[in-house]
Amino acid sequence: MPTLVRKTLGEYRRALIGWTVGLCAFLGMYISIYASMMKDPDTFTKQAIAKYPGALRDLMGGLSDIATGTGYLQAIAYQLLGPLLFTMCAVILGNRALAGPEEAKTLELTLTLPLDRRRLLLERWTALALGLLGVALVTLVVAAGASSAAGMGVPFGRILAAHTGLFLLVLFFGTLVLCVGAAFGRKQVALAVAGVWGVAGYIVETMGRSVDALSWLRWLTPVHYYLDGRPLYQGWPYGDYLVLLGATAVLLMTALLAFERRDVGV
Amino acid sequence: MTAVVETEGLTKFYGTRRGLEDLTLDIRPGEVFGYLGPNGAGKTTTIRLLLDVIRPTSGRATVFGASTRDPRVRARIGYLPGELALEGGERARDYLRFLAGVRGGVSRGRIDDLAERLDADLSVRMGRLSKGNKQKVGLIQAFMHEPELLILDEPTSGLDPLVQQEFLAMVREARTAGRTILMSSHVLAEVEHVADRVGIVRAGRLVAVEDIAALRERAVRHVELHFDAPVPREDFEGLPGVRDVTVQGASLRCTIDGRPDALVKAAARHTVVHLVSAEPDLEEIFLTYYSEEEARHAHAGA
Repeated sequence: MPTLVRKTLGEYRRALIGWTVGLCAFLGMYISIYASMMKDPDTFTKQAIAKYPGALRDLMGGLSDIATGTGYLQAIAYQLLGPLLFTMCAVILGNRALAGPEEAKTLELTLTLPLDRRRLLLERWTALALGLLGVALVTLVVAAGASSAAGMGVPFGRILAAHTGLFLLVLFFGTLVLCVGAAFGRKQVALAVAGVWGVAGYIVETMGRSVDALSWLRWLTPVHYYLDGRPLYQGWPYGDYLVLLGATAVLLMTALLAFERRDVGV
Repeated sequence: MTAVVETEGLTKFYGTRRGLEDLTLDIRPGEVFGYLGPNGAGKTTTIRLLLDVIRPTSGRATVFGASTRDPRVRARIGYLPGELALEGGERARDYLRFLAGVRGGVSRGRIDDLAERLDADLSVRMGRLSKGNKQKVGLIQAFMHEPELLILDEPTSGLDPLVQQEFLAMVREARTAGRTILMSSHVLAEVEHVADRVGIVRAGRLVAVEDIAALRERAVRHVELHFDAPVPREDFEGLPGVRDVTVQGASLRCTIDGRPDALVKAAARHTVVHLVSAEPDLEEIFLTYYSEEEARHAHAGA
């Protein structure tokens, strides 16, 4: 493994362990509640769900089938909270790749090593991607294990498809933050861009699908390509995932070009 | 002999603010070059341009004959940043090993030798290093791979006097080994004992480049002579380079510019019992440059 990838993973280690533990606890706990709720079927009757405001139901992905294993897993793990938490992890780590060290002025010495900037950025990004992949793999095992223990009856292949989407989504946001950090060297700017694009994107994708004036905007949000294919119900949405991957690649190229020509630390 | 560092019309503006303007400078192989100027004069800007951390607005800079863009050049440079930041839970020794690894390896024991010389504790986590210890770690990483060119930005800041002496010894050894050194400072006293030449930069412009030896020769010296009998004042008046003569009985005080030859020859006609000559004060000349420059700016502005 290249030295800088290893070194960066070393810097990420604590955060990676923390986020993995946190995400696993979240998934394990909420998924295991499913079994006890099924014992009391009144919790999620159609009438009970109908009491929620429509907008809230839209925001939570509809909730119409929350009494089924697939519906519950989608609502709890893959609709909002799972992606939100994992994206936060990716954004924090993405900021620690370039913008954080630049603001802390530790990047200067790294830049004066006999590495070209392109390699520096690529190795930092590789460490970010590997770190996120590690978190994704562990959480996949926990999500699949817990849902089979709770008797949800969701096939592993579907969970794998949904989890792959989750990984691609957080990789996109991690790369986005790294890219903005590479271009501007400011953590706050990167955070703002990712926050606005992520939150606005989610709202447009969930509530905007019924609003004509907004619906075209869905094509511009990464959340669309994560949610729209409904992998937990329909399996692999290859096209959508390729769009996410392609967008990540474009961001990475942009980051390389922007970082290459910039004054660092001024 | 080709210059180790060569700049031509090197200019850097941060937006409309001038960082450095039209710097043309050669640093020769094997010399210690003192780069002097007050804070904010453009020293750090120059250094960061040489290391390709920032990019020039115009002009060009080469190191070892190659563009500063070439990353291979940086393997031959040891760099100490002016604002050295070290943080995190990593131990200083592990960080140094990482830097050494990327630079192509450092001989075993070299890091420990340097740590011992500078009295640095490398088992401390970097976020907990004191300012002085951070500076020591910075110096170790700059010297450890025995680079052909050392670029040190304010190297003595934060070091106690004993460590400063050790650092100056390291600089002298590096020069003896044929290495080239560029070190910046805002006080001449810090570099005058090791530097061969000094460049003075002010408000983004290089105002003067001087040989330390020549500077010393031009330096103002205060001399006191004591004779066995009172001497006539006229014997010492009008001597070339001798000023401010005051005679009080058998003792004489004066200021000399440059060589003391005329004064010594005049004094030799009497019996000298005691002679005191203060170390030339280079700081004074240095400040003269500043005030001249300032006067000119004030004039231009008026």
